[in-house]
Amino acid sequence: MASSFWNIAYQQAMKSGVLVAKVYSFLHVTTNYLAFPAYAFGPSMIPTLHPSGNVVLAERISKLSRGDVVVFQSPEDPNKLPTKRVVGLEGDSVSFVVDPGKNDESRTIVVPKGHVWVEGDYTQNSRDSRSFGPVPYALVQGRLLWRVWPFQDFGPIGS
Amino acid sequence: MRWLRYLNQWRGTAKEALEQVSIVAKFLCLIHVTDRYIISSTHVQGPSMLPTLNLTGDVILAEHLSHRFGKIGLGDIVLVRSPTDPTRMVTKRVLGLEGHRLSFSADPLVGDSSISVVVPKGHVWIQGDNLYASTDSRNFGPVPYNLIEGKALLRVWPPRFFGSLR
Repeated sequence: MASSFWNIAYQQAMKSGVLVAKVYSFLHVTTNYLAFPAYAFGPSMIPTLHPSGNVVLAERISKLSRGDVVVFQSPEDPNKLPTKRVVGLEGDSVSFVVDPGKNDESRTIVVPKGHVWVEGDYTQNSRDSRSFGPVPYALVQGRLLWRVWPFQDFGPIGS
Repeated sequence: MRWLRYLNQWRGTAKEALEQVSIVAKFLCLIHVTDRYIISSTHVQGPSMLPTLNLTGDVILAEHLSHRFGKIGLGDIVLVRSPTDPTRMVTKRVLGLEGHRLSFSADPLVGDSSISVVVPKGHVWIQGDNLYASTDSRNFGPVPYNLIEGKALLRVWPPRFFGSLR
């Protein structure tokens, strides 16, 4: 009689396990190929994003174009996911001031093949391609589409 | 109103069809998750990793777990997404981790001029085993760590070369 209790328990556990696996697989495929939520914070994208934090929806479907705000894996630190705006695609010439604190000397770079040039909207306090160079396209994780929170600013994130 | 009755007749069949489709969809999801996140087989070809990998093509098993835990080390053969063409994957060997200093010859055919680099933080230096026919970090520079997508485990085809890659 004791063994049938364990049999039933085992069967229930298996059923729940299979359900969890199915739900997880589905969520996973959706998150990796369609859209995913993200929490963005920091001063580098003022006024587009609040420095104190935004919950946004990012999508992975569209091809990138100039002016898109993207989430990407940092080339400097593999564990960080900065959010910046795409200012130049491969082949574009971008000009930027090398050291705004020092002088006005500017440099022009052609974005190499397979890379994008990203800059924060608040250039005075943003660590972006002006510091770490162009970002390989494959490191881009998604394009910011919609802001979900704070609720007063619910709506699309524009160019 | 007759077409409404038609629809009702097909309701049972439609439900069964949907069930079958959902079983197939779930199975595909599972296969996909395994293939992308645990272990997968890849066909690799080209001269850049001779003599380790054959010119005409090998099928290798690659695992996709190590790079997520930072367990990529010197000498590992890795599958990397090309920094110059995001639709392509390249297979090369890791010869330098962040902070390492390396010297390489700018043109191996001509000879001596050697360049020394330090691999920046968050990057790795990859090179093909066949220095004369490989486009790698000597051409496109150190590669951000996150472009690594897998580590080669062993070769499964052709059968006479079955086994580990060294």
